[in-house]
Amino acid sequence: MAKFRLTVNGRSREVDAEPDTPLLWVLRDRLALTGTKFGCGVGVCGACTVLQDGKDVRSCQVPVSQASAHAYTTIEGLSPNGRHPCQLAWIDEDVAQCGYCQPGMILQAAALLAAKPRPDDADIDEAFAGHVCRCGTWQRVRRAVHTAARLGGAK
Amino acid sequence: MSASRREFLKWSAIGGAALVLPLPSPVREKTDAASSPFAPNQWLRIGSDGKVTLVIARSEMGQGVRTCLAMILAEELEAAWSSISIEQASPGPLYEDMNTGGSDSVESSWMLLRRAAAAAREMLITAAATEWNVKPADCRAENGSVIHAPSGRHLSYAKVARAASALPVPKEPALKDPKDFRLIGTRVRRIDGPDIVTGRGRYGLDTRPSDVLFAALERCPVAGGKLRRFDASKAKAVPGVVQVAEVPSGVAVVARDSYAALSGRDALKVEWDEGANASLSTAELLRRLDAASKGAPHVSRREGDVERALARAATRVSGTWRDAFQAHASIEPQNACARVSSGSCEIWAPTQSPQRVQKEAAKLLGIAPEGVTVHVTLIGGGFGRRLGADYATEAVEVARAVGRPVQVVWSRADDFLHDRLHPAGRADLEAGLDASGRIVAWKHRFTSFHLSMFGPFNPNADEPDVDPWGGYDNPYAVPNLTVEWIAVESPIHTGAWRSVEYPANVFARECLLDEIAHRTSRDPVDLRRELLVGEFPFASRKVDRGRLRAVVELAAAKSGWGTPLPARPARRVGRGIACNVYHGRTALAHVAEVSVGEKGDIRVHRIVTAADCGQVVNPLGLEGQVESGVAWGLSYALKGEVTIERGRVVQANYRDFPVLGIAEMPRVEVHTIAGPARPTGFGEQPVPPVAPAVANAIFAATGRRVYRLPIRPEDLAG
Repeated sequence: MAKFRLTVNGRSREVDAEPDTPLLWVLRDRLALTGTKFGCGVGVCGACTVLQDGKDVRSCQVPVSQASAHAYTTIEGLSPNGRHPCQLAWIDEDVAQCGYCQPGMILQAAALLAAKPRPDDADIDEAFAGHVCRCGTWQRVRRAVHTAARLGGAK
Repeated sequence: MSASRREFLKWSAIGGAALVLPLPSPVREKTDAASSPFAPNQWLRIGSDGKVTLVIARSEMGQGVRTCLAMILAEELEAAWSSISIEQASPGPLYEDMNTGGSDSVESSWMLLRRAAAAAREMLITAAATEWNVKPADCRAENGSVIHAPSGRHLSYAKVARAASALPVPKEPALKDPKDFRLIGTRVRRIDGPDIVTGRGRYGLDTRPSDVLFAALERCPVAGGKLRRFDASKAKAVPGVVQVAEVPSGVAVVARDSYAALSGRDALKVEWDEGANASLSTAELLRRLDAASKGAPHVSRREGDVERALARAATRVSGTWRDAFQAHASIEPQNACARVSSGSCEIWAPTQSPQRVQKEAAKLLGIAPEGVTVHVTLIGGGFGRRLGADYATEAVEVARAVGRPVQVVWSRADDFLHDRLHPAGRADLEAGLDASGRIVAWKHRFTSFHLSMFGPFNPNADEPDVDPWGGYDNPYAVPNLTVEWIAVESPIHTGAWRSVEYPANVFARECLLDEIAHRTSRDPVDLRRELLVGEFPFASRKVDRGRLRAVVELAAAKSGWGTPLPARPARRVGRGIACNVYHGRTALAHVAEVSVGEKGDIRVHRIVTAADCGQVVNPLGLEGQVESGVAWGLSYALKGEVTIERGRVVQANYRDFPVLGIAEMPRVEVHTIAGPARPTGFGEQPVPPVAPAVANAIFAATGRRVYRLPIRPEDLAG
């Protein structure tokens, strides 16, 4: 066990963990930030997506030992009151079905809009190519990203 | 089908959170009943603050059941939508059936919740009328208040709740006339949407007491195997691992966090006696299936004399249609958390079957079922997998062995390896046509593995009168028809999978019909229209074929059936149709627009759906279920399959079991027909006609028939 200092959702947090522990499990089991979901553990489903310095990463692929150098945003910290444009757009378009993969997708959308404020469908398809949604919410994901862009999701 | 912004603004005023509002959580933990003075039945309570709590006894797994049931309740109660909170029921004497399967939740709750809410409404009106000393008949309820029409006086439910609670509960309350519905039939967004988008929604993996330990299990990779010996030394050396315990389900590595449990489990050395299935392969399973298909069948349905009619037919058309083993692959892996004390047990689980979990846990512990409390969490994808109880009882086993609350975590590989698979099946169909091309005989035989999730194989326990789904309820008017089915004992774990036997049988049935249409130079829509006249038998009643005919006609009209498709460079294009009636109730048709490249690569561009599910409760949710069913059906038709080698599931991740991704999602358009004034199911119904609509479109594009799912590009190259 070693101590690591992490910046998560604007707060500095100290955790005891094995250095190879994926950030995913540190968030979920140590910091009780269970909005970050475990889906595959090998970086192919996107459910554990968080923002690392504003860019999307798969938290199951980030060892905690490499996390201290960055600032992370999880779904709990995306907005103080659940009103980030991507969250509002996701509600507007009624995207979620089971909802389990959606926090990761909302953060993916936030990262996309930060890089490209007005994405087209091809940009969206490319950005979400690394996500799996067994409920098939894709038609609404596309719509919600466009809605979020209109609501100023790039900010 | 998309809601315009104008529509959005309109319905946002009725339901759900609007852009300018904060986002409160409508999902409550169990509340103190004392704070709710008015609780006329087990389904609802009204607090002195006017808040309405609806108790949901079905599991939410993405089908939107919490929203639909809350709409039904709010409608009949005349409650304000914003006043509704929901609470998840736990199994107990108040709740008769808590299973979430068979697309039955809304249909079976419809009258139950309406009566419960109508009784409460009448009591609130009577209480207010008594307070005002006026006739109840002069009062009505609206938006959470009782109104005395002659005087215009109002009393909120909050103010009359306590007085209402002293009144007798009416046994036969008057229900609202459907023409007065103001909420049912409108586009209402998910009641738990705000929780989901903020990460507050609690799924199984997110729900555990603070003193919990975590466990990962090594289970025998081959069904029916036994533990021979294990060496835990390396597992125990993994930091964070606190204990390794042998339990009936395997060997459990218990640790302080999930990652240590999973790492410790990977470090275990376990030797299994893999038993009789150790060398089982897909090829061997299919050999058994094929051998069984030649055997003696159960006869599900027999009309006329099919053998005689086939013998006399001018033309016979036949084929064998096959589908593959399929995984559920929900994104939330299986998991459960349990705490075992002397004489009692508490379980937190994402389950579709809480009563089964309660019963099996009680049996395991040798205690009364009442001693087992089951907390049902949100489910990160169910699709039938969680109708089993294995994931929950093993958590009980580990918690009992450790003497602490334990959450059992499954890796993605565990979830594939120990899934209860959709079994591969084969459907052998043959039709006989007379000299004029009329269908005079139809023989349908389905052979598949039994579903071990529901118990051991018993050849005499089948229900041939309702099996095989999609065969026994063939909707078409054919004078001589026989439907047969053969169940084969499954040596691997099998189970319910979104719409179960329907996809395989509807694939075969709808493809054969399409083939007959082309062979007899008839339009596939016209042929269906000819055959969908009158009624067909369903169990002890008759089903009007006209409902299916109407959705076929609507889907055809909305899709532009018969008009040319736009050309696509270097691609062959085609349109196909398929339809189905699910257990004599919901009728649904899809038209698929498909293109096929030179190398056989398939693109599905558009699906136009028409459905009659009676009273639509929530069109927004219904459209979502079509989108979801289309994605599910396209994954089944075009993407991954599970294979078995050395007795084990080969696939371990989404890399080797791909499901439909965003770039492959077609445009989905949904149209509904107003049917009977009650809702029928919709969670599974859009799935079965997807694969045959695509297969028939592929034929239209390429002239090649598809007999095997998933469809492989190499079958269509050139």
